[in-house]
Amino acid sequence: MDGTLLILLQILVAAAVCWINFVAIDLFFKLPEKGGVVGAAAIGKRIEEKGGGLHGGFMMGNIVSSPDASAGTLLASCGVFIAGIPGGLLAALLVYIGNRICHDPGYAGTTGCITATFIVYGFTLIGFSAAAFIAGMVIAILTIQGISHVHASRLLSRLWKVRRG
Amino acid sequence: MGCAIVAVYAALRVALESDTLRKLPFLNVLSFAVAGSIALIIPHPLSIVAAAAYFVGSTLESNAIASTFAGGLDRRE
Repeated sequence: MDGTLLILLQILVAAAVCWINFVAIDLFFKLPEKGGVVGAAAIGKRIEEKGGGLHGGFMMGNIVSSPDASAGTLLASCGVFIAGIPGGLLAALLVYIGNRICHDPGYAGTTGCITATFIVYGFTLIGFSAAAFIAGMVIAILTIQGISHVHASRLLSRLWKVRRG
Repeated sequence: MGCAIVAVYAALRVALESDTLRKLPFLNVLSFAVAGSIALIIPHPLSIVAAAAYFVGSTLESNAIASTFAGGLDRRE
């Protein structure tokens, strides 16, 4: 297969894997429940005013305000790309410190970083490049935070309803 | 290369969005793209620390800006 096409395919698969990893862990840690800090709550409410979903907006506000599982996935990919599993675990430690700096009492970022370390490492064993996961995570966060806040927050609100039961 | 394109796109969205609070998610995408670029361009063990420090720093700034615009102290509920 053509090399460029193979890299693009790897990045697309990596983006899907990263997306599922960080959204699942953020939902598990109840990020959409409320804005963790007043700023996160304000971002959620402002997104809702534009026609988005409130709980999805809270989750987007929380992602902005403290390193969550998405940041964990990105830094784990960077760590594995540079230094394998020890690099990913170093990234997890840095995310843990980052969470404490940002007054975040949760463990979504650290957990996401540790799971992503092993997921990314597992994919490198079957021929994926860890660099594809760095690019994939940038694309994954782009779909949530960077294209349409209204649609992304509605989607996250729907997923939150499923999570809440 | 891809990360750089996303970074430029996110920077444009930040510039074009008029509401400060709604700028912040785009700024978040920009931070992701730049942190990713740091690791991809400089594959050195210390660049993990550099990327994490840059990312946490930019998150803390966004946190402070959002809390200021929300008109309150940065406190957990």
